[in-house]
Amino acid sequence: MIAKEKLAEIVGGTNVGDDAATLAAYSKDESFVNELRPACVVKPHSADEVKQLVTLASETLTPLVPVSSGPPHFRGDTIPSTGGAVVVDLSGMNKIVFVDRPRRVAMVEPGVTFGEIIPAAEKEGIRLNMPLLPRSTKSVLGSLMDREPVMMPKYQWDISDPIACLEVVFGTGEDFRTGQAAGPGSIEEQWAVGGVQKAPYGPHVATWHRLVQGAKGTMGISTWVSMRCELLPKLEEPFVIGSAQLPPLMEMASWLIRLRMVNECFILSGSDLAAIFSEDRSADYQRLQAALPAWVLFYVVAGYDYFPEERVDSSLSDITELAKRLAVQPARAVAGLSAREILKAVQGPCPDPYWKLRGKGAFEDVLFLAPNDKIEGLVEIMSGLAGQAGYPVSEMGVYVQPMVQGCGSHCEFTLTYDPESASQAAQVKDLAAAATKALMNSGAFFSRPYGDNTRLIMNRDAASLTILRKLKKIFDPSGIMNPGKLCL
Amino acid sequence: MALDKDIHSAFADVVGEENICDDPTMMASYFKTDFACVVMPKDTAQVQTIVRLCNKYELQFRPICTGWTGVFIPGTVMIDLRRMDKIIEIDEKNMCAVCEPYVTSAQLQAELFKRGLNTNIKGSGAQGSALLRGHGPMDQSCGADDRNHLAVEWVTPEGELVQIGSIGSSDEWFCGDGPGPSLRCLVQSTVPPSCTPGVFTKIATKLYHWPGPERYHLKGNSPNYSLIEMPDNMMLRYYSFDSVEKMIEAEIKLGESEVCYIVYGINAAMVSANVTSSNEEQMALFQQISGQVKGNGFVVIIAGNSQADFAYKKKVLEAIMAETGGESLKAVERPEIGEILMRQCTRPTGAIRETMRPGGTFKSIPNMGQRDLTVRWAIGAGEAKLPLIEKGLIVDDGGGFFGWGVEHGHLGKTEIFCAFSPMDSEANKAVGEWATEQGARAVEEKYFALTMSPLKTIDERTGPAVSNYHLWWYKVLDALDPNGVIPLKGVSKLTP
Amino acid sequence: MALEDYAGDMNMCCRCSACKFIPLQMVSGFTHANVCPSISRYNFHFFSGGGRLNLGAVGLEKGFNYTPWYLSSIYNCQLCGACDVSCKYGMDMEVLLPLQALRIQAVKDGQAHPELQKVVERMTATGSMVPPEGAKRGDWAKSLGLKDAGKQKVDVLYHVGCLTSYDKGMQKLAQATAQLLGAAGVDFGILGDAETCCGARAYEMGHEKEFLAQAKKSMELIKQSGAKTLVTSCATCYQAYAVLYDRFGLKGDLEVLHTSQLLADLIEQGKLQPKNDLGLSVTYHDPCHLGRLGEPWIHWEGTKIPGDRFIFDPPKTYRRGTGGVYEPPRDVLRSLPGVTLTEMDRIKEYAWCSGSCGGVTDSNPEFAQWTATERIEEALCTGAEALVSTEPWSEKLLADTIAANGGALKVYDLVELVAQATEEGGR
Repeated sequence: MIAKEKLAEIVGGTNVGDDAATLAAYSKDESFVNELRPACVVKPHSADEVKQLVTLASETLTPLVPVSSGPPHFRGDTIPSTGGAVVVDLSGMNKIVFVDRPRRVAMVEPGVTFGEIIPAAEKEGIRLNMPLLPRSTKSVLGSLMDREPVMMPKYQWDISDPIACLEVVFGTGEDFRTGQAAGPGSIEEQWAVGGVQKAPYGPHVATWHRLVQGAKGTMGISTWVSMRCELLPKLEEPFVIGSAQLPPLMEMASWLIRLRMVNECFILSGSDLAAIFSEDRSADYQRLQAALPAWVLFYVVAGYDYFPEERVDSSLSDITELAKRLAVQPARAVAGLSAREILKAVQGPCPDPYWKLRGKGAFEDVLFLAPNDKIEGLVEIMSGLAGQAGYPVSEMGVYVQPMVQGCGSHCEFTLTYDPESASQAAQVKDLAAAATKALMNSGAFFSRPYGDNTRLIMNRDAASLTILRKLKKIFDPSGIMNPGKLCL
Repeated sequence: MALDKDIHSAFADVVGEENICDDPTMMASYFKTDFACVVMPKDTAQVQTIVRLCNKYELQFRPICTGWTGVFIPGTVMIDLRRMDKIIEIDEKNMCAVCEPYVTSAQLQAELFKRGLNTNIKGSGAQGSALLRGHGPMDQSCGADDRNHLAVEWVTPEGELVQIGSIGSSDEWFCGDGPGPSLRCLVQSTVPPSCTPGVFTKIATKLYHWPGPERYHLKGNSPNYSLIEMPDNMMLRYYSFDSVEKMIEAEIKLGESEVCYIVYGINAAMVSANVTSSNEEQMALFQQISGQVKGNGFVVIIAGNSQADFAYKKKVLEAIMAETGGESLKAVERPEIGEILMRQCTRPTGAIRETMRPGGTFKSIPNMGQRDLTVRWAIGAGEAKLPLIEKGLIVDDGGGFFGWGVEHGHLGKTEIFCAFSPMDSEANKAVGEWATEQGARAVEEKYFALTMSPLKTIDERTGPAVSNYHLWWYKVLDALDPNGVIPLKGVSKLTP
Repeated sequence: MALEDYAGDMNMCCRCSACKFIPLQMVSGFTHANVCPSISRYNFHFFSGGGRLNLGAVGLEKGFNYTPWYLSSIYNCQLCGACDVSCKYGMDMEVLLPLQALRIQAVKDGQAHPELQKVVERMTATGSMVPPEGAKRGDWAKSLGLKDAGKQKVDVLYHVGCLTSYDKGMQKLAQATAQLLGAAGVDFGILGDAETCCGARAYEMGHEKEFLAQAKKSMELIKQSGAKTLVTSCATCYQAYAVLYDRFGLKGDLEVLHTSQLLADLIEQGKLQPKNDLGLSVTYHDPCHLGRLGEPWIHWEGTKIPGDRFIFDPPKTYRRGTGGVYEPPRDVLRSLPGVTLTEMDRIKEYAWCSGSCGGVTDSNPEFAQWTATERIEEALCTGAEALVSTEPWSEKLLADTIAANGGALKVYDLVELVAQATEEGGR
């Protein structure tokens, strides 16, 4: 355990918190993960401070739990898994380091939120490939490090996109920069010759950022990320297609993406869409949910600098042919909800309260990747399990993000519940656990494990886990980096 | 040297006597190197057993597929993966294909074309393994490098089987990352020894839409095949520019507009090599077109998914060329030249003509990274070639370099090479010096560092300038290879 | 040229592996992409063209060590030339010539293959590649009343070849050829019993000395006959007289035609009129000796121009398989009523060898049959009822292999079908 004074020497006295209220705020979150109080919370404001913290923690075998986003948290990975932990709250490191239009790249510190980067990037004419409606306090770096699916699959060439490079402090206290940022030279020296930390590969044959992404801080703490950005379109035409069945929408989405005709492209259940566009689960939500079809595909056709209208026109004419072939009907609105409204909503973070909380006050997500042709079956399995558990299936939200890395799809079931109701909470918790097992046995790939189901998921691939543990011993030999997460 | 009798029997018990050779005379056929033996497994289980035997008998090993290049250490066991040559599956719904190591890119692509799909093929040629990480002419629209790899089946240096990604927990190959952090951080199928230690026995690779024909229908005889008909939804041009800056500007605009299937920045010497079938023909054509090009340039292929799409892309291309002063090379507009390039760009088979045919060998400095930055370095490296050309030590290509934008210009590849005769010791020396100087300049001037070479001295020189990557990599190797069966450790490991 | 003369070529091999596959632009699927039977069967790189070049280069530097594996590499090769064609798609270098030289070197060094040694000795003794077994070479022509070119001068000499002359199953080809030539009004003669082996298979077996001696004998007979044109229905003999003899300065002004070329001309000129509907779906096997190996020899002597580039003075034109005899057999097939031709995946200069070249039928019959089996499978993929070729050695091996495996695919020589299709032949 590190003495508070030592921590204060690094980050300043006002940035060390060990009062009851502060500790309580970091000891639990909205997930089912067990509450565990940290020893204290520190707020560094520079990479150098982070480095000193990690070095000290390594010497004293003090667990560190990095947190980039502000509350509320939903996944349990920011809760210590072991006693005596120091939470490293990085939200104070919130510089937008640069936004570079010509090379379509931006660099941010961990505390920068989507609400902050979006206007900064827009000013330069570019934007980030975003996840669906992140909460207002969500850290951009946190989202990228979590491998959250992005809404524009066309621009996700690799599953780690839009990450370009990272600076990370490994559990040894040594810093490392991935990709082009590694060197030669410091970041400033690279800038001086026109380098912008864009290329993700290397140095050498490894692609180091993949080691840190998805690791939930178990390998090190990232102190900035550079990320590729896309051009802001000059013209956007959003559309929706409603359907009672999921497969035709999956087929349509896969062709739209395969032929690179659309930007944002995702599928939501009527229940999810209703939840996004309602204040709460009142009449508004009921009316909207009743009016919406079971499934809605949303996509955007865009034009850029050169003849944007013609680009849109030629794409639309091709999409019309495609739609005829697949017997689906693109429209500008569905159930009175216009596609443009949807577009406006999803191009920014979610206004508070976070949309998944509006219904009943709490939720649990069951999320995974799966082959496209298995998604329908997995939805059926989940619906069956929900029904058996007595969960109101019509209220279960489903978000399908097609063609992650151009291949399978992300599928996310949202189970809302009243946090004041112990029985509802237990029902959802048990359902999530049972669903994880059943879905895994039917081909779902839980690539981003959270909470209590982590052990089940990680142990299923014991051979990979063995290698990860070897790597953990290298990059965090003292075992101080978020110990207990991911079975590492 | 021949193996000890017991060790030979142990390997033969696994693969059969007909699939192991430790005759020292025959090792010369494999890269003129005295390997301990060559052993050819037929499946993953046999690979594992062989690797375990190497651990047991303290033998170092090294796998190869078609094996064009690499560094080869005497005394190692060469694991020739030729018998592992199956396409395991092509999954159109999930846009991925799974292959064993000895499936060539040409074979995979030919099957994919039938289904309206494509795979990116490395510039080194379609005879190479479909598994390899690398760059090629189709990077613009088909991704590149390790970014097209999905799930991987990997036999570690200890002989353990690790199935990386979705295949580790299910029967599906569509994802290479997770659970948790991705082992694709390490699992890199580039050319050994600059790659992950161990053996890849299957890799899933990402597929792309192919707007072209189900197969190219060709007439004529080798080496002069020609398309019976150019696909009517595809067009190829070669544009040259007044300056490198204008070329890069055009490249970026084309990337941002997303209209090109291919942007392939080969220079006039490479164009003339690609489309000719002898060195003499190449010299004549190079003389002709180097007088016709304004300067550096690139091949562009546009492909429409419909007439409207094609018309739009053509219009944008013409507008960007007008803005940047890109001039179309008339020679390439001729169908008999254009269609050769069309095929050589979509099924790369011209690398040998460009690199090996002129002089007999070549030495290259490649870089995958930020395009505009590496081009600035390449200009200097090209100027440094001119004295060697003047002395007649290297083939005259005008001091050219080449490269292209990757993923619609987000990333880039820049490369420069010298072609020369392997029998000319003075040329060898001069080219070696040129490469060392230009590599060092890249580091000193902060453009990039060459980190793919295995040599200990390079690691020690560049490592400290590049986040001490080498120290971390050696730790990774130590962890994965406790018994030291990977030969590159003997070459590049820092600790004594 | 001796092996040392190919040192530059052997050191040029950059190990790209193109020699193992058909020219990559022609790959149309997963199957039938391999072109080298040797490495396809045995898998080690030293069974490829490139692997053998490396062995040769190192052998020249350090001496040759004839181990069992080395001899296996040298002799388990049909010397079909496919590697040469594939390599030369991209490179300016020789592949087949050094491979031939490697085998010749082995024989010179006392490492002749024992089975091939026997065959060559028999050729020297009897003038035949095929055991005569008491028969006479001219027996096939007994009742035909053909002109004896040994006794009278002829302008056109029909050279039959060893296999066609002696093999009871193949003699019908000679008879059909003679009938067709006669029907077309070609004034020709045969040497009959006096005919002797062209010697080409001995050359392929590595016995250059014996080949040259045999070739001189054969040319002497041809000169004595007065023939200006030699016609043969054996592709091996075609390649011998048209290419090998030219290469060694033995051919002189002799015009050499394969029957497929002559038949194509005769049909075009109307001198042969295929009328009978054969109702047969076929595929055509390009024999190596008529195809890529049948490309005319290019006489060239020169030196590499010192400097950076691999160019020569005078400029060297490479034989890349482009100029083989590919179209005439196809033209003939297309002219036969009721015959539909479906091409295999590997044809013309990148055809898969039948397996009968390079002495392999004698040195390793199992490998020869394996190679033939691959070709038969490829033919079956076309859906054709019959496999047609223009090389008796190929046809025999293919037919024997089909029979051994119990297959239904028929094997014809081109002349058989022409004979059936013409009025004289009927069905």
